[in-house]
Amino acid sequence: MISHLPTPRRLTAASICALALLSAAPIRAEPAVEVHLTYANGAFQPSEVRAPANKPVVFRVKNLDAKAMEFESTSLRVEKVVPSKAEGIVNVRPLQPGRYQFYDDFNQKARGVLTVQ
Amino acid sequence: MRGIVGFARHAGVVSGALVTLLCLGGVARAEDPNDWLDIETKYIFGFTTGSGIGIEGEKEFTVDSIGRFGKRDGHYAATETKYEYEFTPSQFVQIEFGALGTTHNIGGVTGLDNRNSAGFGGGFAEFRYLALERTSSNPLSVTLAFEPNARFIDETSGERVHNYEFETSLNSDLELVHNRLYAGFDLLYEPEVTETRLGDTVREATLGGSAALSFRIVPNVLIGGEVWYLRHYDSPTLSDFTGDAIMLGPTLYVQFTPKTFMVAAWNYQVWGRETGTPLALNLSEFQRNRARLKFAWEF
Repeated sequence: MISHLPTPRRLTAASICALALLSAAPIRAEPAVEVHLTYANGAFQPSEVRAPANKPVVFRVKNLDAKAMEFESTSLRVEKVVPSKAEGIVNVRPLQPGRYQFYDDFNQKARGVLTVQ
Repeated sequence: MRGIVGFARHAGVVSGALVTLLCLGGVARAEDPNDWLDIETKYIFGFTTGSGIGIEGEKEFTVDSIGRFGKRDGHYAATETKYEYEFTPSQFVQIEFGALGTTHNIGGVTGLDNRNSAGFGGGFAEFRYLALERTSSNPLSVTLAFEPNARFIDETSGERVHNYEFETSLNSDLELVHNRLYAGFDLLYEPEVTETRLGDTVREATLGGSAALSFRIVPNVLIGGEVWYLRHYDSPTLSDFTGDAIMLGPTLYVQFTPKTFMVAAWNYQVWGRETGTPLALNLSEFQRNRARLKFAWEF
């Protein structure tokens, strides 16, 4: 029965291939810029950081508090749970110039901003 | 129909009370919108889908019910519920898949068999690619979405069929006022082919577009409205037009906790036409009302 109906199958296969190619497109072999953050007493140190435009960014988040935190950002589209007394590494794509807010999803009063120029 | 009106009134009262309580809580905090966290726009426009694709590594389980109510005569109520798993494997792609559950309560509708049934309706998958991302200097965001569906139960009639649908859409949104006011726009092309139990093959397509506005009244509640224009064809190549309709209605988005939220929307057909008949509204291919209620849990 399905053999009489090739169009949806072909379209599905084509879309999967297209998405695979599209998702691979943003990956570039460029050196990443490291941004170091410390999380202590429920706050980011520093709370404002900078990075150059169009280069991948790596956040290294050191959690010095006694409980886990979750580094999260809607605009950066990343999240990472960092256990107590541990370091979390968060890879971010090359970014356009602008301000990108980040926060601890377990304590949303703890916030910071990445400015990309 | 009386049941639907009662359900609508009840849902309206509950939603109103919920929004009032949440608003009072938000107003009490008296926060500056510039201090609010950015919001994920995918679900803030009701039936219109925003461009959001989630956060890399995020997973979500959702129960998403769409009800369709009212035909030309008799009583008609049909629902389709998606039990959906959603995840974001990269910062540009989101994937969803799940099962469909359906119910049909039909009596005295011309052209449809009377039916009171519920069952497993099929499955679906969705692939979303973020083509243009919003930044603080660019308020527009655009996502392309492809959603193949396979159904064993016809959405409209509730009959056993083999139906294959390939929904293709462009979801875009615009941040009009930072953290406050958003506009959403969708373009939809939905070709499908159905094999009936009698062996007939039916090919058709729906083409449409929508515009929506959503206002963030407090950090965790958005209210708004949307309008949809939908055209139906008895051909995937859009060569055999059979009718169109305009649907209009309110939307509500409530974030209960950082990891749970709900969406509610109601659309009413305000204008429609069917080719070959002088009757008002298009109730052959579309319905008088449709409603959406969605609950999501992120983890």
